[in-house]
Amino acid sequence: MSSFLDPCAKCEEVLQPFLDRELTEEERHAAESHLDACGYCRKRYRFEESLRRYVRQAWDEPMPPDLKAKLAELRTPLL
Amino acid sequence: MTNPEPEADARRLAEAGRDRARFEEEVLELADQVYRVARRLVSTREEAEDLVQETYARAFRSWRSFQPGTNLRAWLFRILTNLNIDRGRREQRTPDTRPIEEGDYFLYNKLEEVAPVEDADRVVERLSQDSIVQALAEVPHDFRDVIVLVDIGDFSYQDAAQILDIPIGTVMSRLHRGRRILKSELAEEAVR
Repeated sequence: MSSFLDPCAKCEEVLQPFLDRELTEEERHAAESHLDACGYCRKRYRFEESLRRYVRQAWDEPMPPDLKAKLAELRTPLL
Repeated sequence: MTNPEPEADARRLAEAGRDRARFEEEVLELADQVYRVARRLVSTREEAEDLVQETYARAFRSWRSFQPGTNLRAWLFRILTNLNIDRGRREQRTPDTRPIEEGDYFLYNKLEEVAPVEDADRVVERLSQDSIVQALAEVPHDFRDVIVLVDIGDFSYQDAAQILDIPIGTVMSRLHRGRRILKSELAEEAVR
């Protein structure tokens, strides 16, 4: 398993759970100390963060204004 | 059976009515979030609107199955994802067998290959917003559901697992594979 020998490969492996805040504290510290020392990985983490923001913007489409009224009509009529 | 306490009965009914009205208010407050997720689970705005309306009709009907004090958002999104699965998409399910050897740095490396990266924060702007929407549509449903719940719905892996009724390990592996597929699609666009 090369990732245990190569710190950049290990860092690449935890990129997603790192950004999803799903790493344990210990794992997060390990990734952060590698990132402090490694410009190669740091650039790629920064890219990934901006990619996520950018992707969310692209996917974001607010609810059409009349839909909420339609949903409210589905409510149980008051007795 | 005759009821010896009609007044108590009426009081209970009134209380149940109030509980129900409160529940419906809370569910309606989540409508915007439900729509945003629904919009990316299906292809068109019309389908998303239908799906959201079906979700609310079912949620209002089955309000008694919600246990107060538990996660209302997760309960509601579970109805949404179940209805979406029921909408016949099983027919179109084909196993995704595309190889994905690339690591998570793959897209950045590809962009860097095409042209030198001056600023890691702005290199994303080389991708068009349309291509990002299109790339998600190319991700098979099982993977897309997880991406949409985590990235648009802001659910934790644990909540996504509960909503989709799959183990957390499956959430992680689908997310992993789904994001890789997404990046491969974007990389193809970037080098075009």
